[in-house]
Amino acid sequence: MKPEGPIIRTRELTRTFGDFVAVDRVTFEVDSGEIFGCLGANGAGKTTTIRMLCGLIPPSAGEGYVGGIDVSRDPEAVKRSLGYMSQRFSLYLDLLVVENLEFFGGAYGLGGAHLRRRIDEVLQQVDLDAERRTLTRALPGGMRQRLALASAMLHQPRILFLDEPTAGVDPSARRVFWRLIRQLSREGTTVFVTTHYMDEAEFCHRIGLMVDGRLVALDTPEGLKREHVPGQIFEMDGAQVHRALQLCRTLPGVLDVQPFGAAAHVRVDPGRLSAEQLKAALSGAGLDDLQLRAAQPSLEDVFLAVVEAGSRCRIPERPEGARGPGSRGPIPTERPAGARR
Amino acid sequence: MHAFLVRTAAIAHKELLHFLRDYQAIYLALGMPLVLVILFGYAVTFDLEQAGLAVADQDRSSASRRLVEALEASDAFRVDVVLQRPDEAAALFRRGKVKAAVVIPRGFGARLTRGGTAAFQLLLDGADGTVARTTLGYMSGISQAQTLQLLARAGLTADLPIETRVRTWYNPRQKSALFIVPGLVAFVLAIIAVLLTALTVAREWERGSMEQLFSTPVGRLPVVLGKLAPYVALGFLQMLLVVTAGAWLFDVPLRGSFLLLVLATALFLFCVLGQGLLISVVTRNQQVATQVGAMSALLPSLLLSGFIFPVENMAWPLQLVARIVPARYMISVLRGVLLQGRGLAQLWPDLLALALLGLLLVLGATARFKRRLD
Repeated sequence: MKPEGPIIRTRELTRTFGDFVAVDRVTFEVDSGEIFGCLGANGAGKTTTIRMLCGLIPPSAGEGYVGGIDVSRDPEAVKRSLGYMSQRFSLYLDLLVVENLEFFGGAYGLGGAHLRRRIDEVLQQVDLDAERRTLTRALPGGMRQRLALASAMLHQPRILFLDEPTAGVDPSARRVFWRLIRQLSREGTTVFVTTHYMDEAEFCHRIGLMVDGRLVALDTPEGLKREHVPGQIFEMDGAQVHRALQLCRTLPGVLDVQPFGAAAHVRVDPGRLSAEQLKAALSGAGLDDLQLRAAQPSLEDVFLAVVEAGSRCRIPERPEGARGPGSRGPIPTERPAGARR
Repeated sequence: MHAFLVRTAAIAHKELLHFLRDYQAIYLALGMPLVLVILFGYAVTFDLEQAGLAVADQDRSSASRRLVEALEASDAFRVDVVLQRPDEAAALFRRGKVKAAVVIPRGFGARLTRGGTAAFQLLLDGADGTVARTTLGYMSGISQAQTLQLLARAGLTADLPIETRVRTWYNPRQKSALFIVPGLVAFVLAIIAVLLTALTVAREWERGSMEQLFSTPVGRLPVVLGKLAPYVALGFLQMLLVVTAGAWLFDVPLRGSFLLLVLATALFLFCVLGQGLLISVVTRNQQVATQVGAMSALLPSLLLSGFIFPVENMAWPLQLVARIVPARYMISVLRGVLLQGRGLAQLWPDLLALALLGLLLVLGATARFKRRLD
């Protein structure tokens, strides 16, 4: 059933705009049926990568193969094999739901009874059958995104490219959307998706992290956490978190300290500092009423660690290990700047 | 081939839906032509009717009174002000009360009785060139008629050595509307087609739907043809609207072949739609496209097309520019078919020019229409 080898493959894929290197020698492979997440701040090169793979802009250098087709040589053939959902909602607001689908079906060369059947099918899939005759302008954000997905699926592509499909959509609509994506993946569709919602990224089979045009990390969510956020994380909560934070920075065995909302995350090397030792150290300083519980690292921790490391990598030959605890300076507690649109 | 047709039809259908849901566009496309026919048909007239005239009769003889009566008897003039002194005319001109004044000097009648030549003075407000020229024309006619009457009364045979006997072909009563309405067809089609198509591509760039469209395997020719198709149909509708309104309101005839009219309209539409599309493709911005479209369609179609001002009288650089104004050829065909009853044998050079310009513009727009985002 599955074709041999990766369905998307790039080697040193590069795109420059004048002097600006938007995508810098990116190499990766995506397997058939995989949900591949591309994470990064705005301007990191995610959209440019997607556009190159969809045949919308030619690469400046390197290679990209989608479904075995060279995107530089035959962008038109690439377009036939994929479905694309661009970053901005870009269906026609003055058309009915079904009219948008009829139009995009026609653009893919579908017509007649076959198109009508496909429209029925995709409307069922994205659960918009009831909105068939609704003016697209009247749809709420979540439904619009599903309609955009439906229009990208009409020609039954093996690969879907979704560029920030859930930007600006409320959380429950995002959950519905992701349920759809996982369903598609189970049915064998490869999904290449960009996002800056870390919770969504957890749903991806593998994640590529982009910083300043480069792919700086690529692994499963678990693998990324293991590699980039090693150790044990404790969430500290209580009235004196701030003082505790300062104390923790000085303890041996503490890898990282970060405010996390009203609480704080303390990451320790379990071989050097156990939970009991940490507690003892805190109560020794008179900080008794703190609650301490083990926490899982989030992709946000990974993202911050990798972005930090990635920007360090721009200075050549600086080993990653040179970073010590507490040396990260001010760290944004929320998403990285620019991650919100 | 089948996919090509399916894609072109899908784009044409979508474009039609956009149009039908855009009330402004519908008004622009169907209301504007009627408004323009009425405006131009009634307002743009070179005929003089009941123009206000000031008269200073210093002679007060029977001969001078006859002259004034003759002026009043013509439909062209109406004596609005009777002046005591000729220098009062200056004040009237300044206030804009009248645009022409007639001064009949003392001794006018006496000179005539003696058999000499009598002169009267015509003062014209030259600030309004058209009115001044027309007034002069009418006045010469009236003066000549008076002269002939006087000669006849003196028992002389009223035979001038050279006499002009005028018979105006195609527009015997010299109605301005007959001259304006055919040109108006080209003018209306040019403005509206350019404005509407200038928006179609720019709008999709601005809204981001162009990116989605380019991610499909649809080629640029289906996009171009599909986008133009509804506007071609609309253009024919507008042509029929203006020609019908012209026939109904101003008795504009159709003396030539209707098929030729349809052919010329098709060729002309390719020119103006191609022009609009080219603007849209190049600017990618609705506001800029509207401005460039309005300027490039309105001004040449109004000034360099022979619509109102004859191209033959222009300075040679302008005549050169006029050669690439499609409206100029279209207006020539329209007058030829509607008024003169000309056929293909006489009009083929204009039609050929339209075909070439249209081909150039549509191909240019297609070539400039990049399906990539960079």
